[in-house]
Amino acid sequence: MSYLNNHAVVMDNGTGLTKLGFAGNDSPSWIFPTAIATAQPSNSSGKSTGGGNTSSQSQANTSSGVIGSYFGNSTSATSFNNFASSLLLSNNLAGKRGTEDLDFYIGNEALTAAQGPAYSLSYPIKHGQVENWNHMERFWENSIFKYLRTEPEDHFFLLTEPPLNPPENREQVAEIFFESFNCAGLYIAVQAVLALAASWTSSKVTDRSLTGTVIDSGDGVTHVIPVAEGYVIGSAIKNIPIAGRDITLFIQSLLRERGEVDTSLKTAERIKQEYCYVCPDIVKEFNKFDRDVGKFSQFIIENQGKTQKKIVDVGYERFLAPEIFFNPEIASSDFLTPLPTIVDHTIQACPIDVRKGLYSNIVLSGGSTMFKDFGRRLQRDLRSIVNDRIAQSELLSGTKSTGVDVQVISHRRQRNAVWFGGSLLAQTAEFKSYCHTKRDYEEYGPEIVRNFSLFNML
Amino acid sequence: MLHLQPHNLLIQKTLSEAIEAYNKGAPITLDRIVSDFDYATFHISDSEQDKSILHLSIRTKAWQSVSSLGRGILAYLQDKYDKLPGVSTLQPPESGYDYTMRINLAELSTDSIIHISLLKIIIMSHAFQLAFDENAKLAELPEGRQDSSTVHVVQYRDDENIYIKPSGDRITVIFETIFQGETDKVFGKVFLQEFVDARKRNRSIQSVPQVLFSHEPPLEIAAVLPSNSISEKSKRFITFVLFPRHFATPELQLSSVCQLALFRNYFHYHIKCSKAYMHTRMRHRVDSFIKVLNRAKVDVDEDEHENNRRTISGRKMVY
Repeated sequence: MSYLNNHAVVMDNGTGLTKLGFAGNDSPSWIFPTAIATAQPSNSSGKSTGGGNTSSQSQANTSSGVIGSYFGNSTSATSFNNFASSLLLSNNLAGKRGTEDLDFYIGNEALTAAQGPAYSLSYPIKHGQVENWNHMERFWENSIFKYLRTEPEDHFFLLTEPPLNPPENREQVAEIFFESFNCAGLYIAVQAVLALAASWTSSKVTDRSLTGTVIDSGDGVTHVIPVAEGYVIGSAIKNIPIAGRDITLFIQSLLRERGEVDTSLKTAERIKQEYCYVCPDIVKEFNKFDRDVGKFSQFIIENQGKTQKKIVDVGYERFLAPEIFFNPEIASSDFLTPLPTIVDHTIQACPIDVRKGLYSNIVLSGGSTMFKDFGRRLQRDLRSIVNDRIAQSELLSGTKSTGVDVQVISHRRQRNAVWFGGSLLAQTAEFKSYCHTKRDYEEYGPEIVRNFSLFNML
Repeated sequence: MLHLQPHNLLIQKTLSEAIEAYNKGAPITLDRIVSDFDYATFHISDSEQDKSILHLSIRTKAWQSVSSLGRGILAYLQDKYDKLPGVSTLQPPESGYDYTMRINLAELSTDSIIHISLLKIIIMSHAFQLAFDENAKLAELPEGRQDSSTVHVVQYRDDENIYIKPSGDRITVIFETIFQGETDKVFGKVFLQEFVDARKRNRSIQSVPQVLFSHEPPLEIAAVLPSNSISEKSKRFITFVLFPRHFATPELQLSSVCQLALFRNYFHYHIKCSKAYMHTRMRHRVDSFIKVLNRAKVDVDEDEHENNRRTISGRKMVY
């Protein structure tokens, strides 16, 4: 079987971005928005009736009218609108439908295509979970054949899912991958577990355990997910409504207050990525800035022809922006709990016997954890919370505690940690024995994917 | 539309990025695996000493069967690639790979990138090129002696081969296919029949190559076909007959080869797309049936039951 020599395909479909690539690579081959631009139903049905032959049109109209009244008040959940669906249900299918289902774009091409009138853009994944399976199936088919150029029959696939993904969704994924694509084998991994695996590249990690707390901060939301021995402790997961987009908006508002020449969202984002860092103490940092003018920087925007220059000053927002994780009150008024406190609450909500492991292995993942010294600050704040509690309990009980080790791990692969963890696991020799193969699927049916054996790596 | 490009998008992207980064003075470190259809694997890496040098290696299933034909594949690839600025063949190839080329980023022009990303197809085109040459030779012979017994076999997948048979007035290309699933087999049959019939039905595409589809191995290749093939029964044969107008100029030759080399992938891709479409329809149908069922539900009037007494505010009594 020569597919055994082929590299496995690792696909991480996130709410915002999709990461695609091959196992063994250090970075995803493709990163593009999880967006699909489909031909607008009204447009395409108009086209198909126009192109259809006139002889069958009158007959088709009557038949679609009859069936249309029968299914008339069904508001379809699929991408077809009522008009199109009544056409679809008429008996002359081939004449009615062209190849609109093949007329779509994904990723960056979708964003471009959606600027025209002929296509409408949609994001098939909402809050980490697949909402529109029709679009997702087409998204996958295009990403496998067009972008990765692989024959799914020859490759094993590693897909990711968010924590608390319902098992029915897994079954849907398995149905699509085994029945539509005939893929050789499939493994569906939880994103948080993969993020833990990605942290093994850090020199701080000595034992390759799958116990730890994952702080996953993307563009829309930040999750704190405790994982014990490869299993997610679902009841303890906490979400924070502060993430990358909020930081960008905060920088933008600071720039606007100061009346800079360019306060677009794009500028704010570039400033966030290039200048921001986390400081140990805001007051001291303010003083440092006031004493040393060199701390202030300038962000220069050139237009395309490099003929004009706009200069935007970058000041306190360098350290104030990421500070909203630690002091949310400076940016928002409705969410006020700092990140270290949330992490502490999460771990305290877990069973007592895994808490030490969770404190000693806090792993960062996602683009919004990339700020310089983010990990160090989190570790310091969390350690002080934990030490206070230990001191309190020692005072109350009069016994000596053995102490709790708090360690936050940052590593170089943080941005695409989930994908990288997947690549790391899928390149091991054992990976293929953990997958469910096409034959297993045909033997047991879709419920086989409800369980995957965990990687027990030593 | 869902057209598969002949060149590998990912190689194109990686090389463009590498050039851009090199020109900016900050060359990126590359050690990447890229795959392509039919068990082809590429490996792009930079040499450790010199950041301007990239190595691109390929391993493909078709290599074995193509390498021994004619003057040999190496000479053919050198003809094709060594004339591009900054590209040269590296001997011996990287271990585990069939062919390695050395790319000098400082000299590489952006036009050559597309040629490099066509590498897999170029390797397969070797067999086709030989057939084109042979056809030209045979065509000069007098009528009646234009037949030749040569059949080039490209073993491009485990159980599937391409047979190329040149003769004086045409080139016959025969694909052997095998389907994994029963559903695929049915879809495949419909598609192939469509390929065969399209030419008859549509007057405007009379100039396309003739397509034949059969369950039995065509006579052209009966001699070379291994008789003890395992799954002889499930094999299908698709025959394309190329006429001189399909390979009159080098450009036409390349585009014919690209389309033929991608035929199987394109074909399977569309089978998969059709399945996805069927699933869409099934989901839609199930949704609409569920709605009908929901409308048909009869509401049970709970007050009919004797035990269901309510308080004055409308709350139910619970016993």
